[in-house]
Amino acid sequence: MTDTSIADPSNDMEPFNLQFPFTRTLGNTLSTFFSAVAQGQLIGVKVGGRVIAPPLEYDPETGADAGSEWVKVGPRGTVSAWTYVPEPTHLHPVQGPFAFAFVTLDGADTPMIHVVEAPEDQLRSGLRVEARFKEGDEVNGRIDDFVFVPATDPSPSEGAGEPYQAPAEPEIQTMDAYCDLTYVDNAAPVTRVWTQALLEGKLVGRTCPQCGRTFVGAVSLCCVDAIELDESTQSEMPQTGVVTNFTVITPVPYPGQKETEPFVRCSVMLDGTDAVLGQQTIVGIPASEVRVGMHVALEWEPEGQRDVSEIGNGGHGSTGGAVVGWKPTGEPDEPAENYVDRMM
Amino acid sequence: MSHQPVAVVGIGQTHHKKRRADVSIAGLVREAAQRALEDADMDWGDIDAVVLGKAPDLFEGVMKPEMYLADALGANGKPMFRVHTAGSVGGSTGIVGSHLVSSGRHKRVLSVAWEKQSEGNAQFALGGGKSGSIGAGGAFAPFIRAYIRRSGAPEDIGWKVAVKDRLNGAKNPYAHLKLADITIEKVKESPMMWDPLHFLESCPSSDGACAVVFTDEAGGKAAAKPPAWVLATAMKSEPSTFAGRDAVNPKAAHACSDEIYKQIGVTNPREQIDCAELYVPFSWYEPMWLEAHDIAAPGEGWKMTDSGATALDGDFPVNMSGGVLSSNPIGASGLLRFSEAALQVRGLAGEHQVPGAKLAIAQAYGANAQFYAMWAVGSSLDPLGS
Ligand SMILES: [Zn+2]
Repeated sequence: MTDTSIADPSNDMEPFNLQFPFTRTLGNTLSTFFSAVAQGQLIGVKVGGRVIAPPLEYDPETGADAGSEWVKVGPRGTVSAWTYVPEPTHLHPVQGPFAFAFVTLDGADTPMIHVVEAPEDQLRSGLRVEARFKEGDEVNGRIDDFVFVPATDPSPSEGAGEPYQAPAEPEIQTMDAYCDLTYVDNAAPVTRVWTQALLEGKLVGRTCPQCGRTFVGAVSLCCVDAIELDESTQSEMPQTGVVTNFTVITPVPYPGQKETEPFVRCSVMLDGTDAVLGQQTIVGIPASEVRVGMHVALEWEPEGQRDVSEIGNGGHGSTGGAVVGWKPTGEPDEPAENYVDRMM
Repeated sequence: MSHQPVAVVGIGQTHHKKRRADVSIAGLVREAAQRALEDADMDWGDIDAVVLGKAPDLFEGVMKPEMYLADALGANGKPMFRVHTAGSVGGSTGIVGSHLVSSGRHKRVLSVAWEKQSEGNAQFALGGGKSGSIGAGGAFAPFIRAYIRRSGAPEDIGWKVAVKDRLNGAKNPYAHLKLADITIEKVKESPMMWDPLHFLESCPSSDGACAVVFTDEAGGKAAAKPPAWVLATAMKSEPSTFAGRDAVNPKAAHACSDEIYKQIGVTNPREQIDCAELYVPFSWYEPMWLEAHDIAAPGEGWKMTDSGATALDGDFPVNMSGGVLSSNPIGASGLLRFSEAALQVRGLAGEHQVPGAKLAIAQAYGANAQFYAMWAVGSSLDPLGS
């Protein structure tokens, strides 16, 4: 095997989609703001002699508490700067062409960054815009409950700068923040060597010429001596070993979690070596019967059904979907005390 | 040492809870920072630089939160630093803050560390969003099994730590868990989470923050309340995985405490140090750290737990605050350990005060038990009277 170019896109791994519904608690100031938004009202807070909109909990100049002197602002305002997004992705707040713009709302002394829906040639510094709010079921009390559009009437907003009376308990207390990130790793040369070996039904390791330690998996350096281990240090590893330690995990549900029942992850010391593979799967035995000192042998997925797509550059000895797991051989156990310290 | 003396003159923390539904992230860190400023009799404008620490950003899904939080922490126009060293980050955040003063660069520095675990899911984040995350408990359970076998400790040691720390936590007004009625029986019968660790032997998941104000010698001597003097700091790390690595008794842990003891002239930690706050997210880490930091001989740490030596009224109290087992806002947990050590030598630890504490140590660790941060604090610059 020879290392191919790192830049070769055919070496990209499968795209990974990271998703999570984070939930933010807002605190009093932002709760007051978003509850007002849900009513179609924009507000700011008066602090340090100026009106900051949207309101902050603190004076950004000094860190002092901003208090709760709420002021009505907008719904019209003035664009001071912008950047145009002609082709939005599915993660942008609107799906047609738009500008991210600084809009200083009438009655406010600071600009807010928001969406202006307008043709690119209409955008200019000084453009008068007005907030267009969602209605009915579309209202969530979120920052995307409104967008700005060119104002049909450019005159000053009525009531801007007047005090705003906040409800004692603002209705909107939390905000969902959905994370949706897709990324593609480019497999490092050593990762390709490791996954190719797995596809062929082999385990390979690299032995440090300085300290003699063997590193099994997608590892191309000795972290003890800080030296590179090239392919001349590589050899095929045995596929039998002894369980040195294990954990039984009670899975917590989260987006992307496929495990539903308690599962075992164990360390396996490969026979005749000092190399330990961590976080391995045990099969053919209930979780409650896994023991330190147990002899195990690797059971492969059938050729052609070995999936290495989830093995990343940081996975060390991950065997991914190339193997079914390690299966007890039935040989008498080794004394646990000789192995239990060898978790790695 | 050529550095200038550093005093802790302000300490603040939030009330830690499963979910602080009443505050934003900015509100959470400000709550801790404002208490620290109040304790130091200072205002935002008195601070020269701000240091912010937390664990991975995926815990809350806010990337580079130090940027969003800079003006919330009064850092406008001032230096702002972000620290991240996994679970040890709270300790590192305190150390970096103290170094900005000891180097002579700044006179008054605010260190803040936080986590708002309720916004996301730690297991998800630790597994990089992929299925089958083993989490911290799954990572450390094998180390604990190895310790138990190596030391021959009886199985109830872990349960005893779990009870002791929760009883201490019940005396701490800021603690997340206040389990005054906890018993060995309850710990033993709680569900097995990561064999051999039961649910009640594991830390909670908390929202919280902690803040510390550092100042120089003149500032420390002029402070209205008694200061804690930072006498020694150390951070060490070692690779996560290599053949033969001793994860139960890691070299980096030894090296970290060695450096602390050398800096202050401690030759017999158990005799000379009055109390310790050690990062114990899972019960068995108390005896493990007592050994790794040479407070007990190898294989003997569990005997200190067993005899009650580490209880609040023992000869070497450990985790007087209730420890990580009572509150775990991950990024803040290290700074909470460091702060409790400082509160003890200031004589301001309230119901969990060790009478007359003059010299205390604190420790935090992180990742695959591979990153260490420690400090020693004293009621004076020379608490051993050398
Ligand atoms: Zn080597």
